[in-house]
Amino acid sequence: MTGNDAPVEVPVAPPWKRDFPYETLSEEEVTRREFARYLVLGAGTIAVANVGIAVWTQLRSINTGEPRAITALSAVDVGEPHLFSYPGDDDPAILVRLSDTDIVAFSQKCTHLGCVVYYEPDRGRWHCPCHEGNFEASTGAVISGPPTRPLGRIDVEVRKDGMIWALGRQV
Amino acid sequence: MRTSDRARRTSSAVVLYVIILVSFQVFLVTVAVEAFQTDAESLAWATAVVSVALFAAAAAFLRYLRP
Repeated sequence: MTGNDAPVEVPVAPPWKRDFPYETLSEEEVTRREFARYLVLGAGTIAVANVGIAVWTQLRSINTGEPRAITALSAVDVGEPHLFSYPGDDDPAILVRLSDTDIVAFSQKCTHLGCVVYYEPDRGRWHCPCHEGNFEASTGAVISGPPTRPLGRIDVEVRKDGMIWALGRQV
Repeated sequence: MRTSDRARRTSSAVVLYVIILVSFQVFLVTVAVEAFQTDAESLAWATAVVSVALFAAAAAFLRYLRP
């Protein structure tokens, strides 16, 4: 104990302020500089998020899939599409038999915003109904519409047992 | 002490610039997410670089605000 331990006087609010507390505008005022500082802090947070997204985009591994059988060749008629999932169960894919020997398969996700594409045999193209994107049937190249990249192609082959196999997705 | 009109206008302009830069940053987030979804690595990195540059610019503008 020292001699300087005098009790500290705590200011007591008057009864009327305890019963009816209120604050004036000036007590909660945010200065222009503080406001700008908050904004810059937000900008910094967004910048960090953008860098994080870029790093994530760079580092994530893209599943190209393992070879596996899709369906029997005899089960797919010429000009008829066949829906399946590849490389994962949540990745819609579609193949079409363009001729007796020519089979192509693509991811069913439109490269614009991810809607599913459908085969239009009369026009020989893949069509995305969401924003009228169109892709060439055999190559998946963009014909028209907002997409800028071709459909994701899946390599397929017909094996001796008559089954169509997916070999992997092109990146 | 009264603040001169010039200093007040400068402060307003700085805050306005910072608001515009932050708005552009929000737009860049949408670009980055779309780049992520489409596996566009170069676009994602370009977005990140521009975003960091905008943040630096916004931070630099703070110097012109009176305390």
